[in-house]
Amino acid sequence: MLHVDRRLFQNVDWVLLTAACALVLMSVMTLATLSVGRAAGVIAVRQAAWFGVGLLALLTVASLDYRRLVRAAPALYLLGLVGLALVYAFGRAVSGARRWIVLGPLSVQPSELFKVAFVLMTVWVITSRWAQPAGRATLAMTLPIAAVPFVLIIKQPDLGTALLLFPVLMVLLIGAGLRLRLLGGALAAGFAALPLAWLVLKDYQRERILVFLDPFRDPLGSAYNVIQAKIAIGSGQLLGKGVAGATQSRLAFLPERHTDFVFAVFAETWGFVGCLALLTCYLLLLLRGFDIAASSREPVGRLVALGLTSLLAVQVMINVGMVTGLLPVVGIPLPLMSYGGSSMLASLVAIGLLLSVRMRQFQ
Amino acid sequence: MSRVFGRRRMPGRRDAVQQRILAMAVAVTVAFVVIIGQLWYLQVLEGGRFLDASDRNRIRIRPIAAPRGVLFDRNGAPLVDNRPAFTLSLIPRELPRDTESRDAVLGRVASLLRIPYRELQDAVARVQTDSFLPVRVRRGLTLQDVAKVEEWKLELPGVITEVEPQRVYPTGRFAAHLLGYVREASDDQLKQGRYRRGEMVGQSGLERLLDEYLRGQDGGERIEVDAMGRPVRLIQQSEPRSGAQVITTVDRRIQEAAEGAMEGHTGAVVVMDPRNGDLLAMVSTPAFDVDRFTESIDRSAWLRVVQDPHFPLMNRAVQGQYAPASIFKILVAAAGLQEGSLTPGESTHCTGEFQLGPQTFRDWKEGGHGTVDLKRAIVQSCNIFFYHAGLKIGGTTIVRYARAFGFGASTGIELQGEKFGLVPRPARRTWPLGETVNLSIGQGAVLVTPTQVARFMAAVANGGVLWRPRIVQRIERPESGVLYSDAGQVNGHVELSPVVWEFLRRSLLAAVNDGTGAAARIPGLDIAGKTGTAQLIGKSKAALGQDTAWFAAFAPVKDPEVVVVVLAERGGRGGEVAAPIARKILNAIFFEKVAAIEVRG
Repeated sequence: MLHVDRRLFQNVDWVLLTAACALVLMSVMTLATLSVGRAAGVIAVRQAAWFGVGLLALLTVASLDYRRLVRAAPALYLLGLVGLALVYAFGRAVSGARRWIVLGPLSVQPSELFKVAFVLMTVWVITSRWAQPAGRATLAMTLPIAAVPFVLIIKQPDLGTALLLFPVLMVLLIGAGLRLRLLGGALAAGFAALPLAWLVLKDYQRERILVFLDPFRDPLGSAYNVIQAKIAIGSGQLLGKGVAGATQSRLAFLPERHTDFVFAVFAETWGFVGCLALLTCYLLLLLRGFDIAASSREPVGRLVALGLTSLLAVQVMINVGMVTGLLPVVGIPLPLMSYGGSSMLASLVAIGLLLSVRMRQFQ
Repeated sequence: MSRVFGRRRMPGRRDAVQQRILAMAVAVTVAFVVIIGQLWYLQVLEGGRFLDASDRNRIRIRPIAAPRGVLFDRNGAPLVDNRPAFTLSLIPRELPRDTESRDAVLGRVASLLRIPYRELQDAVARVQTDSFLPVRVRRGLTLQDVAKVEEWKLELPGVITEVEPQRVYPTGRFAAHLLGYVREASDDQLKQGRYRRGEMVGQSGLERLLDEYLRGQDGGERIEVDAMGRPVRLIQQSEPRSGAQVITTVDRRIQEAAEGAMEGHTGAVVVMDPRNGDLLAMVSTPAFDVDRFTESIDRSAWLRVVQDPHFPLMNRAVQGQYAPASIFKILVAAAGLQEGSLTPGESTHCTGEFQLGPQTFRDWKEGGHGTVDLKRAIVQSCNIFFYHAGLKIGGTTIVRYARAFGFGASTGIELQGEKFGLVPRPARRTWPLGETVNLSIGQGAVLVTPTQVARFMAAVANGGVLWRPRIVQRIERPESGVLYSDAGQVNGHVELSPVVWEFLRRSLLAAVNDGTGAAARIPGLDIAGKTGTAQLIGKSKAALGQDTAWFAAFAPVKDPEVVVVVLAERGGRGGEVAAPIARKILNAIFFEKVAAIEVRG
């Protein structure tokens, strides 16, 4: 469909691709053991189907020159903002949150796809000639790019995704060579504003932070998720309970077990050894991403790789951190593992872009 | 990082941004190490604890009550039985978590079944809110009640109806004291740690004595449930093991007859087999409603029973202590004859009064009985004769014989709370003569229980053998055979010359055929018996009819098969009140049985 330079195939990052595919395989296997709603296995089939769609998107993105996509970033970003706005107008509410737009049989979560557009847009701004050299001006130009979607997303409400934007922005600014002292100042200002943020938070979000600080505050209420997740993970012990024995997950004690808490299901089923394998795949994937960024010779490729890698890294760390009780519960899916088409698509597009940068690093 | 992971090394030295990227990669790696550390802590170090927690999460234990063992009479007729009964229970864990909707559920239950709301609240407050074990709130629901609960099931989370075996009695008060009652373990019993909350425990009588045997072993189901409490599968099931069967010595027919005969009287009946000490019937009136005790009883009903002036909870047959009155004359006669202080030919002129120093002792009959010999004195129950006789025999000797016949000591009966009666200590050398005079007609410093009297009469009937009253013949399980059996036990023997025994039997026969016990006479049956009337102090008109009436008998005289002892408090004269009751019982024992067999034949 496209004219692809044969040389490109010599530079496909097979380790990255293999790690990603292994993670999706583990996801489908894990989801297949769960019966959510009426029928067992349906979500696993859907997840596999989304993987197929995502793989096509990955190949398409990988075959495109990432620089062309960065050039199209403002358009993609605006499209993303429109998507976020549409959630307000036509969004479907699931358990109190409007995060989805229904398109026929599909429901799309614009905020997931927006994350990629956000990275591209930020790279576009940072590498634009108005932002050179990296300094206060760069900071001033990029902050609104994060702030506008932040407000839109936090109103859905989706605290996790909204908070994700800032670490990614920070990583990109670091990668752009911004002076650390300047960044530190901005960060300090941000922390100083945290008490204000407390006022903006919804009651249940405040409760979650309090519950994180004291999980037994309300063992059958807000802390239920955390306690049940810990029980699920811990009871997996060294080798796991196996598919049949994973009662926490199969008997639905674990909430959100196919989405945000899928890691706990995996941990209960396969134990510490399984978790080690899973985390090794993620670490491999992320380190390859950093390697792609470091190996890239031109700033756009480097920043795209860095931004997308950090996007995945922050999601993995926050998700696993919250499920294992290291961080407060914020709704962030585990890339490639959690059930959800939009998340899967976004993650695979990001990996496609990483591959694209790698393939073109000698051009 | 790039050096480690990159297939292609960066040419030349790393630039500043590459160093920053390397630092980030290191930071991410460190974060992963922290996460792995946390997983090690959760899964390997604390894994066992969480495994327990996950088991508790998904397993619910549903107890299945074991039916209590059945008590049978000596002929195999059940004295109590079990029937399935519906119980309303609450599962605290499944009640709504917030107080408001929980109270709404309880309120709905209260109005549906007309149960006091407080009762429900108290029941829930007693246990932990995350308990899976059902708390039994109300037993004995009607079918309509159950239908109501089922109908509203969806609005009543955590409210269930269970089927439990419940005790049923032939009639509400049948053998209430002997069998006892069963209630939920009290708080004190729970503290002993042998019982679980809501468990039914025998609280008196045989139900209490044999509780360990009767209880059986509750079974249970371990059910895997999901987070909504819906059963997913049965993990393990242990069948309840019903309690052991108890074969008693009681004869249901005689027990029923004795209860019928005592209708309207306060007192006790003991029917015993003099050949082996078997207790054929034991009645104490007024009785309490065993059925009502078995269900949860409210405080006011309980107080009514406890504060009843007639003490319905007391088992008068073993706990009531009374002056034996003229019944004691048998013992005084036996002592006199055996010791040689009395002869059958000895006679006294009875004028109705007896002077001892300044004290005047009277006979029960105005004007006296005229000249009476020993046999006549027993038949007519002449007090004056026995005043003289008692002084001749001496208080110490009477007391010695009383002890030999088992008065003032335990009969060895296994029922709880037996009273021993009262017999003065023989150590006291000098007896005030007035006391001896009173003692010789069974008044004053002597108290006995109806069971002691029955054992004494059995000894007179069988020639001096004192049997331990036997209630339980054996305890057995259909599958494992006999667990306990009681062959009967002799725990005392009184040696008297055969001539003395013969004389006593003949005198007692005459007392029924042609004396104070005439009201007990049944043509065609030789009954030996003695009346007794324990007078209350002072012989005012008001005290008349307040006397304790006794009648103790055995039959047939030639080869005694049963002893019947009747006691009626505030009954009046023994011959007028107690003897007719004994007659009814004896009639039932010896004649209605034959009639029943004839009808069946």
